[in-house]
Amino acid sequence: MKISTPNCDNCVFTEELGRDFNIRQKSQGLAASIKNFIRPSYKLVEAVRSLSMRIGFGEIVGFLGPNGAGKTTTLKMLSGLLFPSRGKLEVLGHSPFSREREFLSQISLVMGQKQNLWWDLPPIETFEIHRSIYNLDEKDFRGRIEELIDMLEISDCLETQTRKLSLGQRMRCELAVSLLHRPKVLFLDEPTIGLDILMQKKIRKFLLDYHARFKPTILLTSHYMDDVAALAKRVIVINNGLKIYDGLLSDLTEKMQPEKIITVILNSETFPKIEIPNVNIVSQESNLFRLKAPRENVGKLAAALYNTGLTIDLTIEDTPLEDIIGNLFTEKSNFQQFRTNV
Amino acid sequence: MLHLKAHAAILKAYLKIMLTYRGMMILHLFRVVLMPLVIAAAWLSIEKADGNPYENSDYLLYYLLVPLVMNLTNSRSVFRFPVSVRDGTLSRELIKPYPPLMNIVIESFTNNLQMLLYLVPFTLISVFLFQSHFDFSFLSYKMVPISILAIFFGALTRLLISGSIALTGFWLEDVTTLNLLLNGSIWALLGGMIIPVATFPEKIRQIAELLPYRYMLSFPIEIFSGRLTTLAIYKGFAVMFFWIIIFSFTARFIWKRGIKIYSAYGG
Repeated sequence: MKISTPNCDNCVFTEELGRDFNIRQKSQGLAASIKNFIRPSYKLVEAVRSLSMRIGFGEIVGFLGPNGAGKTTTLKMLSGLLFPSRGKLEVLGHSPFSREREFLSQISLVMGQKQNLWWDLPPIETFEIHRSIYNLDEKDFRGRIEELIDMLEISDCLETQTRKLSLGQRMRCELAVSLLHRPKVLFLDEPTIGLDILMQKKIRKFLLDYHARFKPTILLTSHYMDDVAALAKRVIVINNGLKIYDGLLSDLTEKMQPEKIITVILNSETFPKIEIPNVNIVSQESNLFRLKAPRENVGKLAAALYNTGLTIDLTIEDTPLEDIIGNLFTEKSNFQQFRTNV
Repeated sequence: MLHLKAHAAILKAYLKIMLTYRGMMILHLFRVVLMPLVIAAAWLSIEKADGNPYENSDYLLYYLLVPLVMNLTNSRSVFRFPVSVRDGTLSRELIKPYPPLMNIVIESFTNNLQMLLYLVPFTLISVFLFQSHFDFSFLSYKMVPISILAIFFGALTRLLISGSIALTGFWLEDVTTLNLLLNGSIWALLGGMIIPVATFPEKIRQIAELLPYRYMLSFPIEIFSGRLTTLAIYKGFAVMFFWIIIFSFTARFIWKRGIKIYSAYGG
C-alpha cells in the first residue's frame, strides 16, 4: 500500500481511493429469513468510489456531503481504521493501515465523545494514561495540560467521573485528550454534534485558536455548516463516494448561490420603484421586506434604497450555507447544474 | 519495553475501576468457588473405583486449588473483543500507538488479580479449617516455582485459545457458542474441572495430555501436589509450548485477515 515516492509536499495524498462494504441483505418476514438463512444474499456498497485529493500541511479542510456520502469512511481510511479496497493513500508519508507507531503518534481522530476518554474514570486519569501511551515527557505533559485546560475551560470537570459529565464537558475533555500529544493531523468527525449553540461556538473558537498556535492539518466533517464556515476555507464536497467539488468555500457559495438576501425596513409599507434588474421581493411583513438580488447588483440596490430616503435599516446576507448544500443534494437538477458549473 | 509504562498505567486504571464495583467482585467469587466445591462434595460422597489414584484428601486438595488456578488462567477477552468489533469501540484502540488488544488482555488480567484478594484468604482459611483432612506428604517447596511457571504458561495458552476464538468476532456476530464448545465444555471435561485428569481412564488420559485443556487447570495442580515425575513435567511443558506456538500463529493469522474486513461501524 505504501507509495514508492513519498509526497513530501502533501500531508494527505489519495489517488482513486475507494472502499466497498459487503452488506448482508434481509427482507421482511419469516419466509425471507429462512431463505436468507439457506442462501444469504449480500449487496456490495461502494461507500467511497474514487477519491483523489491532496491536502497540504497546516490546512483546514471541510468535508461536505449528505448522509452516506462517504465522509466518515474517508476519515476512517485516512486514520488507518479501515483497509482501502483500492487506490493509493498516504498520510504524513505513511500508509495509515500499517499503523506504524510513528504515524499513530502524530494523528488524532475525534468521533463523538467516547473516543478517547475512559468512561469510568475522571478525565484527569485518562490524561495520565494518554501520557504513558504516547510516552510524553512529564514537563511537556504538565505544560500542555495546563494550556488545554485553560483554552477549553475544563478545570471544573477534571476530577468527575466521565460518565457523569455533560455532553459539552465531555466533548471539551475529549478534544483535550486528543490534542495532548500535539498531533500533526487532526481528523474531526462531527465535533459539535448534539451541543448547544454556545458550546458549538466555544469549540469552534478553541479549534481556531489551537490551529493558529500549532498549525495542525485539520480534516473536518460536520452537519453544522457554521462549523465548516467558521473553520475551513477549503471544502471538499463528496456525494455517493465521488468528489464533486474541491476548492474554496467562498467559490462554492458564489457558484451555487449567485444571489444575496437583502432585508430592508422602510418607513412605508409600499416598496419604492427601483430600476435595477433581477431584484425580486421574496416576502413582506408590514414594512419589512426581504429581497433577492444578483451579487453584482447588491451595491447599487443598497445605494438606491438609501437614496429613496425611506430606509430605516438594511442588512445584506448570503444564503445560509445549510440551505445551499441542502439544495445541492435534495434536487437532482441542482446537482446537475452544480456539476456543470464546477 | 516502550509500552511498559502504558501497561502499568492501564493496569492501575482497571484496578481503580474494579475497586469501584465491589459488589460484582463478590458475585464473581461465588461463581468461581461454588462449582468446584459442589464437584468436590460429589467426589467425596461417592465410592471410588478400583485403580483410582486419588484418595479423599487428594480430591479435597485438588478442588481447593481449582478456583485459584482456574481464576489465574482465566481469560475474559472472548467476551469483550467481539463486542468491541460490533459496536466499533475497537476503533479507539486502533488509533493509538499501543497494541490494540493489550487493553482487553490487561483488563482480564486485572480481573484475575483482583479475584486473588478473595480467593487467597478463602483458600488459606479452608486449609486451616480442614487441615486434618489433607495429606501434605506429597508436597514439596521445590514444586512451587514450577507450578507458578505452569500457571503462567497455562494462562498464556488459554489467552491464545480464547483470543483466537474472540478474533472470529470479525466475521461471527456472536462467538459465545463457539467459545462454549471449544473453550467451555471441552475445557471443563478434559481440563480437569469435572474429573481430575489423573483419574481418567488410561486412553482418555493420554488424549487429554495431548490436548491443550489440561494445561490450563489440572497440570499446575498436579505439579504442586507432587503427583508428576520430572519426565512428565518436561513432557507437559513441551506439549503446552507446542499449543502456545500453534495458537500464536492462529491468532495472528485471524487478526491479519479480520482487521482488513473490520468495518469500524459506530464507536
